[in-house]
Amino acid sequence: MSIISTKMLTKVFSGKIRAVDNLNLEIKAGEIFGFLGPNGAGKTTTLRMLATLLPIDSGEAMVAGIDVRRQPSRVRQHAGYVGQLGGADRLATGREDLVLQGQLYGMSSSEVKKRTEELIDVLDLRDFADRKGSTYSGGQRRRLEVALGIMHRPEVLFLDEPTTGLDPQNRANLWVQIRKLRDSGTTIFMTTHYLEEADTLSDRLAIMDHGKIVAEGTSRELKQQIAGDSVIFSFKNDGLAIEKALQLFQQQSYVREANVEDEQVRLYVKEGAVALPELLRLLDKENIAVKTMALSEPTLDDVFLRKTGRSLRDTGPNSKENGEPK
Amino acid sequence: MKPLRDIALLFKRSFIQALRNPTWLVVGLSTPLLYLALYTPLLQKLAGGPGFPTSHVLDVFLPGMLAFLAFGNGSSEGYQTIFDLRDGLVERFRVTPASRYALLLSPILSDIAWLLIFIAILVAVAVPFGFNAHITGLLVSFVLLALLVIITASFSVSIALINKDISGFSAIITGINLPILLLSGVLLPLTLAPTWMRVIAYFNPLYYVVEADRVLATGDIVNSTVGLAFLVMVLLTVMTLWWATRVYRKAVA
Repeated sequence: MSIISTKMLTKVFSGKIRAVDNLNLEIKAGEIFGFLGPNGAGKTTTLRMLATLLPIDSGEAMVAGIDVRRQPSRVRQHAGYVGQLGGADRLATGREDLVLQGQLYGMSSSEVKKRTEELIDVLDLRDFADRKGSTYSGGQRRRLEVALGIMHRPEVLFLDEPTTGLDPQNRANLWVQIRKLRDSGTTIFMTTHYLEEADTLSDRLAIMDHGKIVAEGTSRELKQQIAGDSVIFSFKNDGLAIEKALQLFQQQSYVREANVEDEQVRLYVKEGAVALPELLRLLDKENIAVKTMALSEPTLDDVFLRKTGRSLRDTGPNSKENGEPK
Repeated sequence: MKPLRDIALLFKRSFIQALRNPTWLVVGLSTPLLYLALYTPLLQKLAGGPGFPTSHVLDVFLPGMLAFLAFGNGSSEGYQTIFDLRDGLVERFRVTPASRYALLLSPILSDIAWLLIFIAILVAVAVPFGFNAHITGLLVSFVLLALLVIITASFSVSIALINKDISGFSAIITGINLPILLLSGVLLPLTLAPTWMRVIAYFNPLYYVVEADRVLATGDIVNSTVGLAFLVMVLLTVMTLWWATRVYRKAVA
């Protein structure tokens, strides 16, 4: 059953920039759905429309069975949202912040008290719950913000780039918390521009670029579309060798695709372990000296590269390609 | 009543926040106190002369200071809005079912509460130095100043929401504030001013408040100057609140 669905969802900025372009999405109850793409792809804009923060220009969106356009205030009762900026109050303690959040959702005072204690345990806030927000580390602040987002026990939780700015340890810690939430029945819809995060954390994911979804499925399904492994070579005496090697590779029937990228030749083959010795034999015969080589299973970046012609790593964390407002 | 409950909750947050930010309290209170301590002595020789009909210059100067305080507090409300935007608090509150009016009005109401406290302190300080306090006049004056806070604060919040950036916001607010203050007669009554200045002052809403405040301080309540000031303030309150609500609904994208 879909707990979030959109039909032809569209957002146009400044009358011409199609930040979200006829988006169709189906997200199942109880899954972690990852939304991967470079900054400016329209991920945040989509999330903000679903969370009732931005008006929908055209199309339909349903969250927890409620029409977002018609009944935004009912959606707010059933969905939680943790934005990129978070929203923890620097001048209040974590506990005060949680209490206020519960009260704003209209919870009774006994319920607020109970839920606050519960969340302090679940998200491991005990050590700093009575300190002011201004004293928190990045990881502590994020955990409090997730707690604020689920204070009212929403069925759906929107997380916008939840681990941006966290160190690897805190990131791993937050992943554990997010999985726990999913296991307790909350559907999680999160955006990320980290390949690894999308890969390991999401049950299903969609890759977005320029306001459109370019691929959707489980991480395994998406990688299977690439069908095969990628092999990357770099050569001694670069220029000439690259040209020669590229031509050579392209003539081989088992090489599906070969191209040059950053002074390296990247090729896709059906089975890396079988192709590699054969490729090395060829290079040896032509006297092309190999500097480095790497064999890898396809990554989500390969999927993105295949679908858009660009690498996600190249799009950089700060490129704002279609002027999506923060 | 959900909106009232929300207002109470968010009012409490803003009110306590001011307490936790002692710099704001100290600066907010010390500015008018410094004016009273270090500016009024310069006026002593003017007592009984033009612009200062009574023997105590404080009777003219303090009411102006109160308007100055309300104006300053209200128009700096946008700074908090910018901090709240930056920390994601505006967004966080907007996704809760909290009443939109409560989100906008609560910090302004907290400003008004703090204004009342500041006024009480200033008056208490000024009385021993010869300020002639008429309680009813001061109370009516407080209502007028509360309206002024609503106008300046909702204007300031709207500019903050549109600008989103502290340097742009503070440039606009400082740029607008200075001419308004100078052309309102907060420091020296505009009866001393040349005709052209008084003509311009008629287009300055703060001028009406300052004039009315001085009349109210004499204990005269039913007065055309006071009536005119209330008329101007009520009209502007309606206009700025209408505008601010529109900006609030739209601008937090």
